[in-house]
Amino acid sequence: QKAPLRQETNMANFSYRFSIYNINEALNQGENVDLDALMADLCSIEQELSTISKPGGGGGGMARLGLTDTKVLTHVYQPHLAAAGHHGRPALASNFSLDDITAQLEKASLSMDEAARQSSSHSLSSHRRTGSVGTVSEHEVNEAAMRIKTMLEEQAAKLKAEKIRVALEKIKEAQVKKLVIRVHLSDESSKTMMVDERQTVRQVVDSLLDKSHCGFSPDWSLVETINELQMERIFEDHENLVENLLNWTRDSQNRLMFTERIEKYALFKNPQNYLLGRKETCEMADRNKEALLEECFCGSSVSVPEMEGVLWLKEDGKKSWKKRYFLLRASGIYYVPKGKAKASRDLVCFLQLDHVNVYYGQDYKSKYKAPTDYCMVLKHPQIQKKSQYIKYLCCDDVRTLHQWINSIRIAKYGKQLYINFQEAMRRTEAAYDWSSLSSSSIKSGSSSSSLPESQSNHSSQSDSGVSEMTSSGHARSQSVVSSIFSEAWRRGTQGEVHTHTHTHTHTHTHTAPTHIHLHTNLHTLHAGVPGISTHTPCSFMSPCMQ
Amino acid sequence: MAVWDLSVIVEDLGVDAPPLTIGVTSDLHIGGVILKLVEKTQIKRDWSDHALWWEQKQQWLLRTAWTLEKCGIHADARLVFMPQHKPLRLGLPNGITLRLRASFSSPVFHTVLEICKMLNIRHPEELSLLRPLEEKKKKKDKDSVEEIYDLTEVPLTSVSQPCLYNGMPAHFADSPKTEAVYKMLSVTLQPPAPEAIAKLYRPASVVDKAHINSRWLDSSRSLMQQGIRDNDRLWLRFKYFAFHDMEPKYDAVRLTQLYEQARWSILLEDIDCTEEEMMLFGALQYHISKVSQSEPQMLTSSAAMDDLESALQCLEVKMEGESSSASEMLENMTAPVLNDYLKIFRPKRLTLKGYKQYWFKFQDTSISYFKSKEESIGEPIQQINLKGCEVAPDVNVAAQKFLIRLLIPAPEGMNEVYLRCENEQQYAQWMAACRLASKGKTLADSSFQSEIESIRTFLAMQKTNSGSQGNAPTDDSINTHSLVSPRYHKKYKAKQLTPRILEAYQNVAQLSLTDALMRFLQIWQALPDFGISYVVVRFKGSRKDEVLGIAPNRLIRIDLGVGDVVKTWRYNNMRQWNVNWDIRQVAIEFDGNVNIAFSCVTADCKIVHEFIGGYIFMSTRSREKGNTLNEELFHKLTGGHEAL
Repeated sequence: QKAPLRQETNMANFSYRFSIYNINEALNQGENVDLDALMADLCSIEQELSTISKPGGGGGGMARLGLTDTKVLTHVYQPHLAAAGHHGRPALASNFSLDDITAQLEKASLSMDEAARQSSSHSLSSHRRTGSVGTVSEHEVNEAAMRIKTMLEEQAAKLKAEKIRVALEKIKEAQVKKLVIRVHLSDESSKTMMVDERQTVRQVVDSLLDKSHCGFSPDWSLVETINELQMERIFEDHENLVENLLNWTRDSQNRLMFTERIEKYALFKNPQNYLLGRKETCEMADRNKEALLEECFCGSSVSVPEMEGVLWLKEDGKKSWKKRYFLLRASGIYYVPKGKAKASRDLVCFLQLDHVNVYYGQDYKSKYKAPTDYCMVLKHPQIQKKSQYIKYLCCDDVRTLHQWINSIRIAKYGKQLYINFQEAMRRTEAAYDWSSLSSSSIKSGSSSSSLPESQSNHSSQSDSGVSEMTSSGHARSQSVVSSIFSEAWRRGTQGEVHTHTHTHTHTHTHTAPTHIHLHTNLHTLHAGVPGISTHTPCSFMSPCMQ
Repeated sequence: MAVWDLSVIVEDLGVDAPPLTIGVTSDLHIGGVILKLVEKTQIKRDWSDHALWWEQKQQWLLRTAWTLEKCGIHADARLVFMPQHKPLRLGLPNGITLRLRASFSSPVFHTVLEICKMLNIRHPEELSLLRPLEEKKKKKDKDSVEEIYDLTEVPLTSVSQPCLYNGMPAHFADSPKTEAVYKMLSVTLQPPAPEAIAKLYRPASVVDKAHINSRWLDSSRSLMQQGIRDNDRLWLRFKYFAFHDMEPKYDAVRLTQLYEQARWSILLEDIDCTEEEMMLFGALQYHISKVSQSEPQMLTSSAAMDDLESALQCLEVKMEGESSSASEMLENMTAPVLNDYLKIFRPKRLTLKGYKQYWFKFQDTSISYFKSKEESIGEPIQQINLKGCEVAPDVNVAAQKFLIRLLIPAPEGMNEVYLRCENEQQYAQWMAACRLASKGKTLADSSFQSEIESIRTFLAMQKTNSGSQGNAPTDDSINTHSLVSPRYHKKYKAKQLTPRILEAYQNVAQLSLTDALMRFLQIWQALPDFGISYVVVRFKGSRKDEVLGIAPNRLIRIDLGVGDVVKTWRYNNMRQWNVNWDIRQVAIEFDGNVNIAFSCVTADCKIVHEFIGGYIFMSTRSREKGNTLNEELFHKLTGGHEAL
């Protein structure tokens, strides 16, 4: 059997992919792989599986859940896997990459040992870590999970690593993709975390915010930087993170940055500078801003700002830039052909926005001899290397650049953008409420006595990634809680006990010290599935399989 | 008090009947006059809808408690006693004429309210009546009888109940005739013949468009007062382009008529769009006409249910099968596969080789190809995943060319691949598979068959279009010229147009009827010139005529010659506006001491005043449902001096 021509195959075909570069970099830098954190993630996966396999709901839903657990029917839903199995191709990229991961993890576990020996303080810092983009998934973690549990009691880092290896092997058969990602922070450090394929950018940002104590602001963003092309894009909150990261190539040097970016929601903070098609910046009263946003985003259709003007276009394959008069419409970007007036019917379609994303170009004056450094790039997200299908546009000033980029975002995402912003604001406000509260006020508020419990439920649920709650549902619960608290606060109890507040703040992700987290998880595990002895793997299996 | 004779014409007695004369005193109130009149006629019937119309003053005497003296009526007054509701021929947005009884005595705003209630259109404040364009009567057209749907028999009292019978308001369910009317109102019409589009009036300039707006009736006065008589023709149109709370569940008629108005505004180039947009509008029209024809009451089924259903079906079939071993079962469980010999060509490769034949296999969302059928068990020469790719047809039925052009994204850029099929049948299958795969769907998806069908119909269309002129087109084919404005009739032949519309069609082919209608309206509303009503005005201090564009959220000053936007003012910044009815000038003050004033050239300043006040009114409507229409506020904002 000869190997297929991989170079020609577009990589999206393979469900398992990761950036070797990223993981190697992390290891070479001598950072410790945050095994604890990964472990926690694995535990939650296990938990998730055990919940899934329990018959619940009724009718179709149950049938479906039941089906997904049996191997045979998996193929109905997961044709990819089926296809792969059929031809008996020996080394698919998936296996290969997982072996790699495992090897790396084993290596990492050694350094983990050392770390453990040195000091416990490491465990605190250990969650700013390595990683890589590696997709992993899982099928029946049940057995592995049982083993993991036994081992946990021993708390030996080495064994942990071993368990993780086993778990990873199980995971790779699963239907839910998980990606081990490395997120770079602005202070040159990085964090490793596991991302569920269903998680939105917002969810990941939230979990990073919870972990990193960097204060809350709607401006926190996940930014994709494509070094090779010198461009970057702020992921929109509603986008699916894993889907986007899967576009990266195996040897990709792309980075995922977690930073504060005012550009992300500047559009909503000063809508008058973006929506009115004006050339000059100006001030506007808050209520007018709100009215303007309402008008633009909440009508029966979203109106795209009237963006038009001369831009520089880089000619295909050349280093020269030519001026053209461009216009933005809901249906795409157009330009006025030479010698014509700008009547709609004569416009030439430059490109439609369905398949492309808009990026900020960086330092194109020196890279591409652009007239200015205010450049934007339009390309299909899967394109990762230089190509004639990438379109480069250059603006005369930074204002125009921001106006164009934001207008294109509006044309592309419409109302979703505004929803994202409102959601981000709600998070910020909720977080503010939380952090200004004290544990004493929690105790004093009679209505809130049961809240810490309900919050910890949330945490275990989202950890496992099964969270049925949509983001809005989550926000609702959070804001209800916060309103109860602010009520208590208004009653006059005040104080500041940070640590306590903090634990409650973690509505849906890990607390900072990783080992504490493990315990928490273990605890919920036991509590959730009572009466399971460590030696009965079957009890984790779904009844329909027995 | 002296008794004097008052003569009144009673319309119901006939045109030639002499006026009735009754003896009255000046302190007799209007109600008394009517009572005497009715007694005098000696006709027993329901007179409750009747009222007195004073011809010289052109006004109704509706306050029955007022005395003749108070009204200022003397013996020389020419009064007519007649019903307030009279038949009116109403041109609907879909081009159909409806005959119904409308109030000739209440302000037009209220008349429209009643009409919309009868037609089951919510938010009647967005619509109004206007005088139709004078039709150039051609000799041969004179005799042709226009089909008129009649609703005059529907008793006015029955309209009040909004409950539904057979999915339509009760007053439509009475007879097959009225049921047909409801169907006409709520189901989109088939695309018009291209000749019909070409024959209709198309505004050629902004000034032409401005003239249309001079024909709106005054909403604060009655039809009678504006010279409208029995059986006159008026148009009912959406006037304010701020559509509130669109809900397909309740808005069958509203949605349909709005769609029709939008469709015609595009076909008649009332609103400008780009070629790409025109093709998409064409594709949506095609889709809407097709779906509404086949399933008028199509329900939107959820995608998830579809998935589950097809999976269960698949399962069922497998269970029935004889395969017993697990591996065999596994084999069968997988999604269906397409296998065939096709020809492939990669234009971007720097080779001179043309199309080469391989054995192709389509599975899930990927195409694999092999040297021959026999070698298809092994590794493919290449496997291409089509998820996220662009699929374009390149078809010429006459030349038997069936090409699928694929643009497949990859890290290095887009790979271009052409697949050549042998015949229609093969093309339809592979094309359908490619389209589904580009959206990440597999052949197992329930839409696969319908996708194949829609490709076939489109191919059939191309066939009839390319056929000789003498051939009468079959019923299920549509001339693509019916879907675009006459500009494109000249620019493209039908067979050139078909593939372009087909290309746009692939993105909308899976929409349900309602979704397609909504999509059409959304794209229409997203056009830059959407919702702008033009009026030619003369700004104070300016020497030339200019155009004022009145949009739902702003006023736009437009250069008449070039068509460029000179200045925009938003209602949000508006402090107040005044109309000087004597010199017929509108003056507006905006925040920051910005004052503008203009006189209206093509339309009465009442019309401009009403547009501005109307849009302000539209913006006051709250998002909460179930709020009643504040008629009083509307009149306050739009009435002008009459309202005071």
